[in-house]
Amino acid sequence: MATEIARTASRKSWYKLDLSANVYPTLQRKNFSSVYRLSVLLKEDIQPALLQKAVNMTLPRFPSFKVALRKGLFWRYLEPNNRPGPFVQSDISNPCMPLHFKGNNRYLIRIYYYGRRISFESHHSLADGSGGMYVLQTITAEYLKLLGHEISTGGYVLDIHELPAAEELEDAYIRYANSKVHRGRSQERAYRVRGTAEPFYTLNIICGVMSTTQVIKTAKSYGASITEYLNAVLLYSLMLKQKSEHPFRERPVKIAMPVNLRRFFPSITLRNFISMIYPSIDPRLGEYTFEEILLQVHHYMRYYINDKFLNGDITTNLATQTNPVSRIIPLFLKDFIIKTFYTRVQDRQSSAGLTNMGMIKVPPEMEPYVERFDIYMGQPFSARTNCAIVSYQDLLTINFASSIIESDVEEYFFRKLVQDGIHVKIESNKHMEDK
Amino acid sequence: MSYCVHCGVELDQTATRCALCNTPVIDLSSVRDENAKPPFSTKKGQVERVKRTDLAILSSVVLASTAIACALLNLLVFKGSFWSFYIIGACLLLWVFSIPLFIYTRLPIYLSILFDGVAVALYLGIIAYEYSGLAWYTGLGIPITCMVTLLVLLFTFLHRFFQTSILSTAIYLFAEVAVFCVGLEMLLRNYFDGVIRITWASVVLVACAIIIIALLTIITRSRLREAVRRRMHL
Repeated sequence: MATEIARTASRKSWYKLDLSANVYPTLQRKNFSSVYRLSVLLKEDIQPALLQKAVNMTLPRFPSFKVALRKGLFWRYLEPNNRPGPFVQSDISNPCMPLHFKGNNRYLIRIYYYGRRISFESHHSLADGSGGMYVLQTITAEYLKLLGHEISTGGYVLDIHELPAAEELEDAYIRYANSKVHRGRSQERAYRVRGTAEPFYTLNIICGVMSTTQVIKTAKSYGASITEYLNAVLLYSLMLKQKSEHPFRERPVKIAMPVNLRRFFPSITLRNFISMIYPSIDPRLGEYTFEEILLQVHHYMRYYINDKFLNGDITTNLATQTNPVSRIIPLFLKDFIIKTFYTRVQDRQSSAGLTNMGMIKVPPEMEPYVERFDIYMGQPFSARTNCAIVSYQDLLTINFASSIIESDVEEYFFRKLVQDGIHVKIESNKHMEDK
Repeated sequence: MSYCVHCGVELDQTATRCALCNTPVIDLSSVRDENAKPPFSTKKGQVERVKRTDLAILSSVVLASTAIACALLNLLVFKGSFWSFYIIGACLLLWVFSIPLFIYTRLPIYLSILFDGVAVALYLGIIAYEYSGLAWYTGLGIPITCMVTLLVLLFTFLHRFFQTSILSTAIYLFAEVAVFCVGLEMLLRNYFDGVIRITWASVVLVACAIIIIALLTIITRSRLREAVRRRMHL
């Protein structure tokens, strides 16, 4: 059956990149790739040989992950990759390291194991976090099955003996983007964290583990949801950081936050289906208290996150891509234009990134074997910090990934949580020394 | 179970310092487990090097076969002159240029620039041999090639050794243009008139000097630098 799936998948000889996937490969540098990581911590040590077997069994079910990225004359595209691999490797201290399109047998995914943890890394041009979570959970389920446990499918765990549905591989943006007006794209430049860049091959991870119930209780006491509360805490930390630098001219503090569009537009696609929103405060208007920031974020989210506004945003992006002029421009010129736009406009309109994957559920039979999930937004494009939140049962993890030495924002962030009565445990891959 | 006295967060049992504020963990009452596994791997990962052997082989084979085919044609069919020398030389030139791109990517940049200079000098030598122009070759060809190679080497050194911005790069560039023009005119005058003097190059020299002084002023004055950055931003 698995070979049959592989055959069906390989019959589709290539895939177009989806709407947001087109941007990520253009940002590729020698020391930067848009790679994110999802991890699951089990309760027993991982057996690499079994994990490799589980990966080999699972990947044919996900043809859009078993691909190589190739260049055409006008666009890049994905081509089924039948080279050996991807092979599981023991974990490294610098997660989300650059991924060269021609290395690693041309695979754009990596699987690591470390102690009790399985980590799945994927280039963002293949899928967003939700798409990747299907792969990670299906691999984990297969691994547990190989250990002799009974695991049913459902939620993020797919049946590996099933054929992949066409809708799983579609570009869902095209189906839903139908707004009649295009909303503007560029916004005001935001405050940017200034820091000392770490040397190549270093990504500082600071992970805060806390109780979901405690965070929910605290958020409720402010009359907000978890996402709104944590967004407000990050905005507050960035505001304090900006103030501590005594800038000549203050700038608005903004967070770039991806929204999972599957919540608003029903789709089972395993590829990218996200849109960005920018909760912000403007310290030039006056001093903000934490409560005011939270109120601002709360109202912004309630006002902005709905299918109408999001439709407007994705239609703008689609219009750019389908415009006959932009289609006919050769790839190298497109790369140059997109990269310039990204570095000059897009990257400058946010001070940090924040994503919340929400509460992760696993099939009930899997629950006893899983301790927690971690997600990492990966290396930030410019010198700043990215924050990724995920919760599983009563463990909520907040992972900061940054390529700068200073960790002031993280310090303000976690201290605020501690002040609000949340018990935080910190884990990090940083090597702290005497300054 | 240790807590950071400064931040109030709980720390991992393997941590010796708080990851947020770098405060050392001093917990006399609990014994540290030396064998505990740290939460993250300590092994540093490195990206696999991309092999470009295919492109290297392809380019070498294409260039070599072109050169050999032309040499054979020259020997057997079109025997009029040694025209194939131009093509063989050009193939050699392209091959040398392509060494740092995909044949041996780890070649130090200074060496590859030097090789490029030598290859250009050789190609000029072929032309000089065909046109029996040893005089212009020794009088102009070799000195100009040497000068350009040296200037490119110097530019590369400055660009890599010092911290550079667009402004400082522009300074290097204008200084080198001035030196190049002066050198070129001196060589030309020496070759054609037998005397070393400069006329038009002095105009270039003055123009470049003014631009360099202006750029230096901007670069040393932070307010000016900010103003230029603001007004010229894309």
